[in-house]
Formats: sequence, C-alpha cells, structure tokens
Amino acid sequence: MSVLARSVGNAFRNKIRTAAVVAVLAVAIGLALAMLVANQAVGGKVQELNASVGTVLTVNPAGAQGFDGGGEPLTTAQTATAAAVPNVVSVVGTKALRLETATAASASTTGTTAQQAGPGGGPGGGTSVTTNLQAAIDAGTLGNRNNTSGSTGSGNTGTGNTGTAPTFSLPITATGIGAEVDTAGKALNITSGTGLGDYTVASTKALVGTTLATKNNLKAGSTFTIAGKTFTVAGIFDAGTTFGNNAVYTTLAEAQALAATPGELSSMVVTVNSMANVDAAKTALQTALGSSKADVTQGQRNLDTAVSSLDSVKNISLVAFIAALGTAGLIILLIMVMLVRERRREIGVLKAIGARNRTIGLQFVLEALVLVALGSVVGAAIASVASGGIASALISSNSSTAATSQRGPGGGGFGGAGLPGGGGPFGGASQLLTSVTASASPGVIAAGVAAVFGVAVVGALVPALLTARIRPIEVLRGE
Amino acid sequence: MIEVKDLVRQFKSGDRTIKPVNGVSFELEKGTLASIVGKSGSGKSTLLSLLGALDKPTSGDVVVDGVSLAGLPAGKLTEYRRRDIGFVFQQFNLIPNLSAVDNVMLPMEFAGMRKAARLERARSLLEQVQLDPEKQSRRINKLSGGEQQRVAIARALANEPKLILADEPTGNLDEQTGEHIIELLSSLSRDHNTTILVVTHDRSLAQKTERRFRLQQGKLSEETVRPRVAAGA
Ligand SMILES: Nc1ncnc2c1ncn2[C@@H]1O[C@H](COP(=O)(O)OP(=O)(O)O)[C@@H](O)[C@H]1O
Ligand SMILES: [Mg+2]
Repeated sequence: MSVLARSVGNAFRNKIRTAAVVAVLAVAIGLALAMLVANQAVGGKVQELNASVGTVLTVNPAGAQGFDGGGEPLTTAQTATAAAVPNVVSVVGTKALRLETATAASASTTGTTAQQAGPGGGPGGGTSVTTNLQAAIDAGTLGNRNNTSGSTGSGNTGTGNTGTAPTFSLPITATGIGAEVDTAGKALNITSGTGLGDYTVASTKALVGTTLATKNNLKAGSTFTIAGKTFTVAGIFDAGTTFGNNAVYTTLAEAQALAATPGELSSMVVTVNSMANVDAAKTALQTALGSSKADVTQGQRNLDTAVSSLDSVKNISLVAFIAALGTAGLIILLIMVMLVRERRREIGVLKAIGARNRTIGLQFVLEALVLVALGSVVGAAIASVASGGIASALISSNSSTAATSQRGPGGGGFGGAGLPGGGGPFGGASQLLTSVTASASPGVIAAGVAAVFGVAVVGALVPALLTARIRPIEVLRGE
Repeated sequence: MIEVKDLVRQFKSGDRTIKPVNGVSFELEKGTLASIVGKSGSGKSTLLSLLGALDKPTSGDVVVDGVSLAGLPAGKLTEYRRRDIGFVFQQFNLIPNLSAVDNVMLPMEFAGMRKAARLERARSLLEQVQLDPEKQSRRINKLSGGEQQRVAIARALANEPKLILADEPTGNLDEQTGEHIIELLSSLSRDHNTTILVVTHDRSLAQKTERRFRLQQGKLSEETVRPRVAAGA
C-alpha cells in the first residue's frame, strides 16, 4: 500500500461526502473552464476583428453615402492626398454602380442604358446601368416599401409605377474596386475562380457574389452583360451576407468607364497601420481632404460598440474564470482543513508509529488532488456542454442594445443607407456577435485543468502544512 | 537498556500547575516485561508518552542504549519512534479503512522497507499474534476488539523495536481476552527479547510481570523484584 493508494482510499472513505464535494468542485471547475473557453473564443474574435476591420476608415463625398445625398464626388486625385496622411497604409478607391435588371429597366420610361440618377439632388454617387442578371434577392415587403419611396425621389412618378409594383425587382450592386477588398476594407473571400489581377486598369472581368451566381447559373468563365457590354466571371466571392452576395465587383477603372465618370470615386477605403492611430489618422485625413469635400467615418465605428461589448465580455469571463478558480481552491482548502481536523487523532497515530511530516502532508495533498481530478473530469464534461451556451448568453445579455440598434436596413433595400458588399458596417456588428462560437478545444480545457490543479495544490498545501503542526501526543486524545 | 533520569512533566491548568510526572527515575534491562499501576489520572499515560517521545518532558531525560532523547531534533525523534518504539494503545488506534495486513505494513513502509518484504513480515507477525489467516485482509473495523489489539501488537513489533509501550492494552477488552493479550505480550518479550512496559490498573494482570511499578503523586515506586512467573502459570 503506497501513499498514493492510501490517499485514493481516503478520498473515498465517506462516499456520500466525496460525491457532494466532487459535485460542488465540478460546478466550480466547470464554470472556470467554461469561462476560460468563452474568454478564449471572444478574445480570438476581438483579435480577428481588430486585425480585419479595426483599422479601416471610410471616406465618402461630403453629404453623400452610397446612393443617397448630394455634393461633389471624390476624385482619384484625392487618393494621393489621403495616402500622404501619416499612419495610412493603403487607400482603395471604389466606384458604385446600380445595376437595374432588365425588367426594372423596361418599366422605366426612358429606357436609356446609362440613366443618370434622378434630378433634384437625388443620389449623388450611384449611377444606374442595365444588366441581364437577375437579382438574387426577392423584393419582399422591405424592397417594395423601399422602392416606393425611392421612386418618388428619383423622379419616376407618373410612369404608372405607383400603386402597382408587380414588375419591380431589386437592383444589383456593382462596385469598381481599386484592390481585392470589399467596401469595408476586408479582403474578399473568393470561393472559386481567381481575382481580377490589376484592379486599377479597365477589364471585362468581374467577381460575382455566391447567391447572385447561383441565381443566374454563373460559374468562373461564364459571361453576362452590363450596359450591353459582355463581362466574364473571373471568380465567385462569399461576403457572408445575403445582401453582400447580391453584388458584382469590377476593377475601379472599368466601373468608372461604365458610369462615364472617369476619375470619380464613390468612396475611399483607408487602412491605418494600427488601432491606436485610427483616431489621429481620422482627424488628419478629414483635415487633409477638407470637411466640405469629404466625410471620413470609421468604417468600424459601428463595430466599435460590438468590440467594446465583446471586450467587456472578455473581461467578465476572465474575472469569472479567476473567481471560479479561486472558489475551487477555497473549496479544497476548506474541505482539507475539515478533514485534517477530523483526522487529528489518526494523524497522531501515524506520527506515533513513525511517519514523517512530509509523508503525511503528501498523503493529504494527494487526497485533495484525487478529489480535484474527479471534479475536473465532471467539470470538463459540464464545461464542454455548457460553454457554448454560457458564452452566447454572456454576449447576448451584454450587447443586446448594441446588436439590435445596428440591425439597420439590411433587407435588401437600397433606399436606406446600406453600403454594398461585406454586409456593410451596419450588418457587421450583429453578425459578428452571433458568429462567436465557443467550442471547448482540448488545449484550452487542458490549460484550464492545469490551472485548477495549480490552485488545488496551493489550496491543499495549507492544510497539509497544518498536519505538520499536529503533535504525536494527539494519539492519546480522548483516552 | 532504558535509563529514565529524573523525568518531570508539568501541565498548566488554569492558574494551577500539575505535575503528573514529578521526578521519575528507573532503569529497564533489555527483554524485561514490566508494568506500571496507578489510579486513573495518576500520570501513567503521561509517563509513557515521554518514554516514547510522543511528548517532551519539562525536565529530565530518557536514555536509550546510550542515546539521550533530550538532545534529539524532531526528525530524529520521529526516527526513534519509528525504529525503537512500538506502541499499543487502549483504543487500538489502527487506521480504520485499511486491512489488518496494511496496518501492520505501515511502520515498515515508513522505514522504507520494500513491498514484498513488508507483506511477508506482516503476514508472519499476524500469525505470531494468532490472528486467523482469513482475517488478515479484512478491514480493521470488521474485526473484534481482541482481534484489533492483536493487529496493534503485530504493528508494534513491525520494525523490531527495542521497547514496546502498552498503555492499558486490555482496558477495552473483556477479562478473558485481556488475559490472552497479556500472555501474548509476555511470550513476545521472551521470544523476541524485547523490553515491554505495560500500563494497567488491573493488579492481577500486573502480577504476571517481572517488575511492577506504582505511580503515585508523580513518583514511581517499585514493588519487590521477584523472578519471572511463567505466563499463564
Ligand atoms: N495536555 C494536558 N494538559 C493538561 N493536563 C493534562 C494533559 N495531559 C494530561 N493531563 C493531566 O495529567 C494528569 C495525568 O493524566 P494521564 O497521564 O492521562 O493519567 P493516566 O493515564 O494515569 O490516567 C491528569 O490529571 C490529566 O488531566
Ligand atoms: Mg491513561
């Protein structure tokens, strides 16, 4: 019979009590592990977010965003001004086009191929051209509502369109881009085919969103038309959202040529070298471009709330992890102190028959570790089942305000401020919150269990040291 | 050879100081079976705990084969208890969730003996104290009082100690079982040439020992030394 065997035996001496202790420990350890898993998952997400969109600024013409507003367009020349601002790493210009589907175009009175957007200071940056593509999104309630208000503004009133909208179909967003990024500055996720190569020269190659490609039976190599011109699909991309996938990307120069507005930009996507410099760069950029000419927004502004709520979730989960870990240590400490007191006389017996202090101490530490091991097994099981739920509960309770306020108009309408591609800054926040998946990876669980054992050893060491103070004469107690 | 030199142990109870052991001196030759009698509370257990280094004397010394306990550090006293002393208690004081064999093996484990050797010796000792072989693997709390005390005696013998200290070993046993235990101790002292000091308040049991001491008011007095009476005779 070894010290270890004796410790295991002692751990099961009172089976009901052992079961109770293990259950309580398992809850504390399970909570600690779940919190660690949540912390890791959220931490990873925050990092990913900061790395991708955290340092992106969007420049729009002053007074306009997307297809709405007025003012003067941005020009290619301004990209050089923006690029000269300190801490700016890259500037990508975009040119947005609204692709009217064939049915929508025939319903309009003019029938011209390149129809300038309405008079009366209507949409400033967007230009409508026809396409043979079918939109991948059904108009639905939102679309029809948006169309009604949109058509009033664009001077289509009186064409008989009002009241009856069966022929209405949603437009498709085409964006000319100066680099392989979406309008939020995120690298495009090309799922098949290739990119467009040089994004600054005109080319009849295009990238098509997944749902749009499916709807129109397009594959890499297929062709379609924009403004009567034949384009070849170079690749298919996945923007992650239904709205974002109902889109086409061409090179910047091509979009400018299609709109017959060479040198004009709808927006600029400016990437700053680090999170810390974003605010300073934003101010500098605004000054450099002039506030009467350009609006600089932090593309990630809306995500900011999300990031900060994720950050607080991360902090909460870290505090909860430490607290649960401390609780597990405290439980072990109290249980072991109780056991030492209860076995005072037995410890006296062991000393009377010649056991060294360290032998007895070791026996108690090992007994504590047996309890912790059992608690960890049950706790890890609890954690792997509960961590996903705990993480999402933490996130939704912590950021419900942020998430709901940012859902915005994502339903496919273009009357709203929805920017094309990537779901825009509005869809992003709620989307990223739901996409935090807390899966209990074995590595994290192992690290957590190691931390638990570390705390348990400390928790058990105190009572083990107490045994050294028990005098052998205790053996005679009560005789 | 055990020499006890002017041992004193005092306790403070409230503002009163009591001295259950107040200047005790005696010597015991190797292989002697001796007894101490005295009223309850007269200090017998206190004296025994001083001899076995469970407790430290206020003054005085115990010298075992020339080694003085007074000068030994705690670690050496632990070693002294492990190697030179075997305890037998009134309440047996075995580890309840271990088997008889495991209990007997404990002191040998503490002394660093190898497992196979421990097991063999434990079985042989349990045989010597006449525990039924089928009860050797039984948990202690499934054994009767007399059986438990036999296991305790086997445990006391485990590391071949110089001195066995038995504190009222028959106190929790019926008369007949108690007599068996005393006979066992007596024969062990003879066979192993081990010095045994038994505390008892049963005079008839004391009659069977070679040397008989009486502890009274902190002082030890000895009844006339007489030749050893054969056990059970
Ligand atoms: N740790 C202690 N503190 C105070 N008094 C003690 C302590 N141990 C023993 N005593 C007292 O010393 C006296 C002798 O006790 P003990 O040696 O147990 O007697 P015996 O074994 O002869 O019955 C008793 O009065 C007891 O109360
Ligand atoms: Mg006593």
